Amino acid sequence: MERRSVLGLIGSALGLTAFGSFAYPLIRYLAPPRASVRTGRLTLSKTDIGDAKEIVYQQTPTIVINRPGKGYVAISRVCTHLGCLLEYDRENKSLICPCHAGVFDLEGRVVSGPPPKPLLRFPLSVEGEEITIG
Amino acid sequence: MWQKLKNGIDLRIGLNELVDSKLREYRVPGDTNIFYTIGIVTVVAYMIQALTGYFLLMYYVPHADNAFQSIQEIMTVIPYGWFIRMTHIVAANLMVALVFIHLLSIFFMGSYKKPREMTWIAGGILLLITLAFCLSGYLLPWSQRSYWATTIITNIPTAFPVIGDFAATILRGGDSISAATLTRFFSLHVGFLPPLFLSVVGLHIFLVWRIGLSVPPYSSSAKEEKPWTGYAKVTYSKNYPFYPNFVLKEVSMILLFFTVTFFIMSFMPTIFLPETATTPADPLKTPPNIKPEWYFLAPYQMLKMIPNKFIGISIQLIAIVVFLFWPFIDKSDERNIVKRPIVLITFLLLTVLWVVLTFWGRYS
Repeated sequence: MERRSVLGLIGSALGLTAFGSFAYPLIRYLAPPRASVRTGRLTLSKTDIGDAKEIVYQQTPTIVINRPGKGYVAISRVCTHLGCLLEYDRENKSLICPCHAGVFDLEGRVVSGPPPKPLLRFPLSVEGEEITIG
Repeated sequence: MWQKLKNGIDLRIGLNELVDSKLREYRVPGDTNIFYTIGIVTVVAYMIQALTGYFLLMYYVPHADNAFQSIQEIMTVIPYGWFIRMTHIVAANLMVALVFIHLLSIFFMGSYKKPREMTWIAGGILLLITLAFCLSGYLLPWSQRSYWATTIITNIPTAFPVIGDFAATILRGGDSISAATLTRFFSLHVGFLPPLFLSVVGLHIFLVWRIGLSVPPYSSSAKEEKPWTGYAKVTYSKNYPFYPNFVLKEVSMILLFFTVTFFIMSFMPTIFLPETATTPADPLKTPPNIKPEWYFLAPYQMLKMIPNKFIGISIQLIAIVVFLFWPFIDKSDERNIVKRPIVLITFLLLTVLWVVLTFWGRYS
């Protein structure tokens, strides 16, 4: 290999290293540290059959629905398509996305529209007059 | 007095020689039409954006707690604040329309062909930067539309496996839209995009000047451009000086642009400001029937129709890449699109599809 080519290679390697040493801190700077998610529990009072309560659980907008004949369920309101918040349609027992018309059933499963996957569900227990999520 | 000042400047920097050699002796084709002036009108629209943006900065507060309130104050309390902001909004929308018209006319006249491929690519990049300006700009009022339109846009990268979530986090400055996103988009809008835009505009104008304006494909002097065996500045048999002849044509189009801007501001002030744009952002309530700006309605409707997010977004990205590198795909020497029925029909079908999707998205 010629001396000129070797010098060229060394120069390129140094250049790449210099670029990397600026690029890496920049990417780290742009990606903020993840917010710590509290894994605690949340307690709510009971609702009537068919009613729903909107809450924020683990930094996620969530809806707790008292399904007729099936009991309570806590589901994320964040649409799995592009992140809009779902609206509860009591009449049709579904959750509808106002942005791209995605429809989910009350189990969180996709019924129609572009959402690629079901909604996130949170564990929930009912004791006496209280609902505990988490 | 004026003559004395002019002579003084001429003595020092050779102003007359500069005007003669760069403007009067710069010849443009004799058969140019009004579409040749759209480029300079777009630059004027950008200058209006820079100027009104600068004045808005004096009162706008880029913080999630104060942004919406500061915009309301600009509109209702600050004297003529409404005028500055409305000019900013209307000129921004017209600027997008101008870039689209400019690109469509260049495409229709086949002016992207050799040796102007780089000019086309620079123009395509300018369209993307303009759209980035719009995207970063409409989060700043921190309204319902701002918040939810940005939520959708920043979720787009999540369609891609492995790096998607990370890219979305970088874009938003966190897991969801927050005060960090606002400051991030603000710095992008006022600090990063303007110098980038100006640099690419500089390159674009340099290329236009260096290569020379193209003539319409139906022009008799069009054949003078061929064949391209090496760099040569284009000369035309039928031509006239850039200054004052062509400049006058440009000035009349700039005046028309101002007329349209002020007409919209006076008679259709809410056309670009739906109700969701005047309601403060609520991170816990997506407004019903939220729609993006008119220029994003076609991709919005497409995303709605295609069931797979990855495929829907990939199709749009591929379309952007094909559009940017079109001069390297279409290498035919024939510039007259009328003589190329397949390209003409495809072009018309795509335009009709875009219009249909836009209206469908608007009224669906």
